[in-house]
Amino acid sequence: MNFLRILESTAFSEWVLTSMLGFPTMIAVHSIGMAVAAGLTIMVTLYLYRFAAGIDQAKLPGILRIATWGFILNLVTGLILFVPRGTEYLANVTFLVKMLLVLISAAILVWLKSHVTQLAGESVDVCSSVPARRLSLLSSATWIGAIVTGRLIAYLGSVY
Amino acid sequence: MGLERLGWLADTALGHWVVSSAAIWPTLECIHFVSLCFFMGGMLMIDLRLTGFFRDPCAGLINRLLGLVIGAFLVNFTTGALFFAGNATKYIDNPAFELKLSLMVLAGLNALYFKFRLAHLLATEEVTGDSKFVGYFSLLLWAGVIVCGRMITFFAR
Repeated sequence: MNFLRILESTAFSEWVLTSMLGFPTMIAVHSIGMAVAAGLTIMVTLYLYRFAAGIDQAKLPGILRIATWGFILNLVTGLILFVPRGTEYLANVTFLVKMLLVLISAAILVWLKSHVTQLAGESVDVCSSVPARRLSLLSSATWIGAIVTGRLIAYLGSVY
Repeated sequence: MGLERLGWLADTALGHWVVSSAAIWPTLECIHFVSLCFFMGGMLMIDLRLTGFFRDPCAGLINRLLGLVIGAFLVNFTTGALFFAGNATKYIDNPAFELKLSLMVLAGLNALYFKFRLAHLLATEEVTGDSKFVGYFSLLLWAGVIVCGRMITFFAR
């Protein structure tokens, strides 16, 4: 907590809270990262459940790579938004639930990318992989949960 | 932009309903953002095909995704319209909101150009300069729409 308080009192935190390039820009880029990561994860889930069939499965690792970059954008901007109000965020249960859901989504994204790359390389039908289907569905659900809890932070806690 | 002419919406039953309970606005925000993700996911797939990230003939896939994208857009637009009805003063004379609407109109025109001039490419492996431009322009415009949407609060009077 002391470390977070030190971060909150830095010039960087002051800049995030007062500059148009700080909080407003970061929250905007945060949303773009979220839309890319969650949106493409949902598309891959639809593909694995054969709703979005029609493209070569060898393209899936590339699509998941873009989703990963979306997540990285989301993570970096999220950290920047966290620094000025870290202690408040950590005391907010809704935020902690969001972080748990994001962690699950990110872990599945990393696993899914590796698993799909391996199956596509072996020319195995990725849609027949039960773990890939179930975990991608879970990842889509946890992304949606993270978005919902992310929106509710402002209403169910004292942050922002 | 003439949006002040829509200010009366705040005095309608719908406008009052949006702000009548502490739960309605946050619920609408959640629906707005979840539908945004479905919309952007579908749009990204279509734009990745147009820019040549993948070249598979996938007219059937794109048609199914278009159904999803249009459905998600309608949910997104409806919740956005409810925000306007509930708090019109936040949106009227707001440069971020006006720019967001302008970018959405441009994105719509871009989509119409795709529909009437480029949709036939999806049955082939072809990627043209036109399709690349439409794909990248679409990505840029929708990213701009998201940025402007988040900026509305900071430019409200």
